[in-house]
Amino acid sequence: MDTRPVIRVCDLRMGFGARILLDAVSFDVHRGEILVILGGSGSGKSSLMKTLIGLHDPLAGDIFIKGTSLVGADADEKAHLQRELGVMYQSGALFGSMNVLENVRFPLDRFTDLPLIQKNRIVRRLLRELEMLAAESLMPGELSGGMLKRAGIARAMALGCDILLLDEPSAGLDPITAANLDRTILSLRRSLDVTFIIVTHELQSIFAIADRAILLDPVSRSIIAQGRPADLRDHSNDARVRQFFNRQPDALAPDVITKL
Amino acid sequence: MSKRSDGFRHRGARSREASVERQALTPNLAAMLGRDDLRDVDTPVAVEPPAGFFEEVGQATEKNFSYVAELIGFVGACAHATLRGRWRRVVSWQDTLDVATETGVKAVPIVLLVGFLMGVIISFELGLVARQFGAVIFVVNGGAVAVLRELGPLMTAIVVAGRTGAGFAAQIGAQKVDEELDALRTFGLDPVEFLVLPRLLASITVVPMLTVFADIVGLIGGGLVMQSFDVTYLQSYTQLLGAVHAWDLVLGLIKATCFGLIIAAVGCHRGLTTGAGATAVGQSATRAVVSSIVLIIVIDGLFAALTS
Repeated sequence: MDTRPVIRVCDLRMGFGARILLDAVSFDVHRGEILVILGGSGSGKSSLMKTLIGLHDPLAGDIFIKGTSLVGADADEKAHLQRELGVMYQSGALFGSMNVLENVRFPLDRFTDLPLIQKNRIVRRLLRELEMLAAESLMPGELSGGMLKRAGIARAMALGCDILLLDEPSAGLDPITAANLDRTILSLRRSLDVTFIIVTHELQSIFAIADRAILLDPVSRSIIAQGRPADLRDHSNDARVRQFFNRQPDALAPDVITKL
Repeated sequence: MSKRSDGFRHRGARSREASVERQALTPNLAAMLGRDDLRDVDTPVAVEPPAGFFEEVGQATEKNFSYVAELIGFVGACAHATLRGRWRRVVSWQDTLDVATETGVKAVPIVLLVGFLMGVIISFELGLVARQFGAVIFVVNGGAVAVLRELGPLMTAIVVAGRTGAGFAAQIGAQKVDEELDALRTFGLDPVEFLVLPRLLASITVVPMLTVFADIVGLIGGGLVMQSFDVTYLQSYTQLLGAVHAWDLVLGLIKATCFGLIIAAVGCHRGLTTGAGATAVGQSATRAVVSSIVLIIVIDGLFAALTS
């Protein structure tokens, strides 16, 4: 059995020009794992995700996808590596001019020579897996937030990607829809051995699905904690980590408290 | 010091020594203003001195030159993408055809109308002057050359810039705002190859075709007006054959191709550089129209200078 990590991030430094967002970031993601990237607003979570999928170039360090360097890859190799990763954006990012079926079929249309009937069969299986079969002919504008995200996941998986990156999957969803989405993620991991990297804030969702979490800190611009979410919440020595997992507000100065 | 009871600062309060008396504020707002702990959020408002006329002109010129340089770089990137050859695998011919249909076929009625009216107007205006000198027949010469070399391509390009250039910018801009461009990139697809090249191809093909339509109806419109100056269709036709050369038509079509390139390049570039939010999409569309029309006229001027 291959025990190499499917994604290895080594000493990554990222930012824009002279502004460093994150530095010395290193972590591995293993097959079938659900890794959650956490952090306060402005901590660089979404930028880290965009760097992992090759949309931003890191300032230093490297990212290996199934053993191949993303940073050293030429344009064709990079495009090939990017197709190893399925990405679901916060808004779903479905193409507005196509219905759900066409959206999910899009990568198959672009990168395979399969006959239409076989492509549609693959798409319908994915949509059934994600409980979206009934919505296949709807346009993105007609979908609810949860449906957009499910359709986004289906499209991300259409090329058979076994690594999925999800940007804020639970954001803007009601608790029941968010819980259903968590169940879908666990079900996909169980049935298709999919590896997930999820950027999220939703603590309930994190405790429900994450095997491991990494917490980014905007002040130190690095990872300040890694581990099982429940362990980090209950046993971390770092007050910032406990504060995050226990959802505590920043402490206020005593004179401010008396005035409030 | 004059007082106002609405609680807002007035002109007299700008003086260093002036104090402000607040009246009729809601209790919550009055309590907020009275809180000492909010003093530290008071920061002096930096008022930039107004720029002088020459400074403003200089800044605007620099901005426009840097935009043109950026646009040339973008056209270069498109040319590179085309020459790289990968676009043959990436560009969807169906998409190109769809864009060409939207840009071309659906623009035919408005181009016919504008082209016809241009022919009518230019011939009528020339005819009024030429009649005073007994040279009405030569209006055909002037009108035909003006339509084929200038008005046909120019008016077609302006119509397409307003109709399609804005559409390109808004469509690609909205796709950027909705993260669709990021989604394309994560499939390893370059938005330039996937979105821009089909639009460039469609535009540089369709604008010259529309120009031919505009030319034809422009000449017909001119011929129609000549009737009112007692010049028959046959006379107009005979005069036309002697007045225009193939080069007049070819020059108009070369211009139209350049205009097509400018419209698509400006529209797509404005779309790809759209900022965040719905307002930015509208701004991109507006800027696309303004920039392409200005550039079309500048390029037209260059053609006039080079071919005179």
